[in-house]
Order: sequence, then structure tokens, then C-alpha cells
Amino acid sequence: MPLLENLWGKKPSRKSDKKKKGSSNYAYAVTRVRAMKSKLLPKESYPRLLNMGIDEITRFIQESEYKNDVDELAMKYSGGDLAEHALNRNLALTYDKLVRITTGELNYLVVAYLKRYDIWNIKTLLRGKLYNASVEDILESLIAAGEFTYTSMSELAAKATYQEVIEGLKYTEYYPLLQKFDGTNLAYIENELDKMYYAGLFEAIGKPRSKDRKLFTKVVKLEVDVKNLINLFRLKKAGVVQLDEIMPLMIEGGLELKTEKLASLQYDEFVNELQRTQYWDAISGVTGSDMASLNTLESRLTRYYLESSTILSHVSPITVVPILDYIIHKNNEATNLRIIFRGKETGLSDELIKDQLVII
Amino acid sequence: MAQQDVKPTRSELINLKKKIKLSESGHKLLKMKRDGLILEFFKILNEARNVRTELDAAFAKSTEKINLASAVNGMVAVRSTAFTAKESPEIQLSGHNIMGVVVPKISSTGVRKSLYERGYGIIGTNSYIDETADAYEDLVEKIITAAELETTMKRLLDEIEKTKRRVNALEFKVIPELIATMKFIRFALEEMERENTFRLKRVKARMRD
Repeated sequence: MPLLENLWGKKPSRKSDKKKKGSSNYAYAVTRVRAMKSKLLPKESYPRLLNMGIDEITRFIQESEYKNDVDELAMKYSGGDLAEHALNRNLALTYDKLVRITTGELNYLVVAYLKRYDIWNIKTLLRGKLYNASVEDILESLIAAGEFTYTSMSELAAKATYQEVIEGLKYTEYYPLLQKFDGTNLAYIENELDKMYYAGLFEAIGKPRSKDRKLFTKVVKLEVDVKNLINLFRLKKAGVVQLDEIMPLMIEGGLELKTEKLASLQYDEFVNELQRTQYWDAISGVTGSDMASLNTLESRLTRYYLESSTILSHVSPITVVPILDYIIHKNNEATNLRIIFRGKETGLSDELIKDQLVII
Repeated sequence: MAQQDVKPTRSELINLKKKIKLSESGHKLLKMKRDGLILEFFKILNEARNVRTELDAAFAKSTEKINLASAVNGMVAVRSTAFTAKESPEIQLSGHNIMGVVVPKISSTGVRKSLYERGYGIIGTNSYIDETADAYEDLVEKIITAAELETTMKRLLDEIEKTKRRVNALEFKVIPELIATMKFIRFALEEMERENTFRLKRVKARMRD
């Protein structure tokens, strides 16, 4: 039996699958996660970091939760690469810890949510193999925070062609879709993988009957809405107007947005329609048809999503939502630190760096 | 042309006169060509200066965009997305003539791509990636325009230099030497004529004696 079949079995196998119907340790896991969340950088740290030079920021990161990761990778990387890989490693280890400390259906939901990193890794493997990137480059681009282990991904990265990579994923749920990849339709496959991820996540949540599931669904649906909204703005800005071109790029299952209606509208009508949604307060003032960049709009929507997930996590404290909230905030912390470090390193102005930060 | 190598004959004098006439008309034409090339050069210089300014701005913008995209998405994500750039732009080179100087005409296809043609999935990426790709497409276009103009300028400068050297050579070396040789031949012929006259007078005097 091939090694990957051993590793993954018929479906990606973790204790989540086996214990889907087992007892969940909500109280224990949420308490651990609350403790972990208290170690996230407080928002007061960011203005201080913005005033520091690169050496000071490096020292700051070395003395924080990222110490072990920096020490581990310091031999291999330096400067911005070291910081970025340390942040990615820390993220992967933190998420792995979440998977380890949760059991039963809680674990099942966490694993289902973290599968986004598997999607990311599959995309990177396909991109790398299709365009003959070196194994080293591909390995550096992988983030082992999902269900696939780093060893199995390294094995896939060492394959000679993308066909072999796809064959290596034969025993995963992604195989039927990946079989449609013919070397020319990467964008289609990437979009379908992303949609498959959300479809799989909604399937994992099931029909939300309990308050717990309803909240979890709401956070995911909110994320879908935010993603769809950003993509609608991107497509409208790029001049894509055909409904049959836009709709395949929309993720199904959003909270409030009627994507089909929004997609069919001209830009001004589209913006008017958004005024009736909960997202308007977050984006009003940055939706002019002459705006040069969507960056501000995107960071405002991300901030709105983070704030909403935090509020929802307080609504029901002993549910999966605080764990999801922690995952999102941990990711945001890594993103913020990377923005500051890379921004400083590449000489971006403090004002520009500050605009990109999502500080909650 | 060294004067001592010239045979002071009438036919040589006629040839020299023809050469001087030719050189003088050549000199006049080359001077006109040089002036024309200088005019063309200054016309392109202004255009090239503008394009260079635009190129510098496009480079600064694309650098800022890629730095921003790397900061927000991570270098890892940007690198991974960059793997999807499946089609390189194609450059077609042809030439056109400016006063006898063949300068390149560069046209390109596939530089500007729509969101769909870039090869990466829309759902999994964000506007930072789009704007970086936009900025780099703009930069490549500017590089192509600048390459065309700057190569044209370089070729024109080479030709101006060459023409200037020819004009100077004709004006200060070839034509003065030809004139000097012509004077030498004319003088030699006159001298020979005087010698002949003197010789004839001597012969006539001897015959009289």
C-alpha cells in the first residue's frame, strides 16, 4: 500500500472522523483556548511596534510567543524570511495544538475549518509542479497547519509532475476534482477547491440545530459574505459584468448577500444595494467608482469580520465559536506582525503600514 | 592624398576637380543629415525623458505593491501565486528608417491580462495580488516603450557621431588636401609650361645662332 494511503486512509483520518459522535471536551478546550488567546499581542503593542526599527521588532518577536520558532529557523533563514517562516511555523504548531486538545465533534469542526490550509498546500503543489518550481521553493511555500502532515506534503513536492502529485492525492476527497486538471485550467481548479472547502465545511457543520452550531455557521457564513463581497468589488473593478462569468466565482452559503442580484447590477446600483446590508457601515466612504485601490475596503471588511466573530464568541462562551475566534485572531496577529516586519524591511511608510493593520 | 604620389597631369587635375566637387556636395549632404539627425534626436529625447519618468514611477509603484502584497499575504503566498504566471508576454521586433538609420520598432502582445487570464484562482486571492499584477503589467509596458525609445536614441547618437566624424573629415582633411593637391598640380603644370616655353626659346635661339 502506498505511503500516502497509509497516512490518509480512504478519507483524511484523524481522531475527528472516528470520534465525530464521541463526547466533546468543550469546557476544557475553550478554557485552554481562552488562556492561549490571552497570550495574543494586546492592541496597544502595535503602535509601539510601528515605532520600532527592524532590529527591535526582531528582538520583540524573539522574546514573544514566537521565540522557539525563531530559534529553530534562525540557522536557515534571516531577516524578513526568518520572521515570516517563524510566524507560519508558529501558526501551524498552534493549530496542531488546537486539533490535539479538542475531541469529539469539536475536534471534527476544528479540523474541518483548518482544511483551508490543505487547500492552500494543494494549490501550491499544483502551481509549483506545473511551472517547474524547485522542490525547495515549493516546500518553503507550504504551511502545514491543516490535516496533511508536512512529511506527506514533502513527499508530494518531490514528485516529478503534477499528474503524480494528483495521483498521490488519490485517497483524499479532492481527487475527483483534481482529476479534471489538464494543465491549462489551474484557475478553475483553484476556484473549485476553494468552493469545495466551504461546501465541505458547511457539510461538516450539518444542519445547525443547536445554538453552538448556529453560531459557528453564522461566523462561516459571515466569512463567505466578506469573501464574496471583496471578490465582487474586484470583478466589478476589473470590468467583469457578465453574470455567467461572475457567478462561478461566488461561494455559496453566505449570510446576507444576494450574490446573483449584486452580480447583475451596474457599479452604482451595486453600491446602493449594499447600503441595505450590515456591511455598509464598514465600507461606506471607500466605495467610490474612481477608487484607485481596493486595499482599504478589504482591510475594513476583514476588521468587520474579526469584530463580528469576537462579538459572537462572547454570545456563547462554551461553544466552538471561541475556538474559531481564536484561530481567526491568531491568524490576524501573524498577518499584522508580518505586515509590520515586511513593511519596515521594504521601506513602506508607517502610514501605509498602519492602514493595512487590522487591530481589534 | 600625398602630393608627391600624384602625377601632375591634366587628366589628374580634371579627376581631382571632380573629386572636390563630389566631396563638397557630400559634405553638404552629410551636414544636412547630421542636422536632421540632431533634430530627430531632440524630438525623441523629450519623449524618452517623459517615458523614463513614467518608468521610474511605474517601478516605484510596482515595488510598493509587491512589498504590500508580500506584507499582507506573506512572501510565501505571493511566490506561490507567481508560479501561476503561465504565459510570458511576446515581443515582436521590426525596424523602421530615420534618415538612413534603422531603429527598432518593438510591439508586444500578452502584457496586459484580464483577471481571468492571469492563471490564479480569484476566490483564494485578494486585491493586493491583483494590484501587484496590474502594476507589473504597467511596468513591463513602460519598459518596452522605454527600450524602443532608448535604443532609437542610442542608434541615432551613434549615427550622429559617425556623420559628424565624416563631416569633419571632409571639411578639415579630405577637401583641404584635395585642394592643396589641385594647387600643386596646377602649379606643376604651369611650371612645366614655363619650362617648355623657355626650352622652345632656347631651341629657337640656338637655331638662330
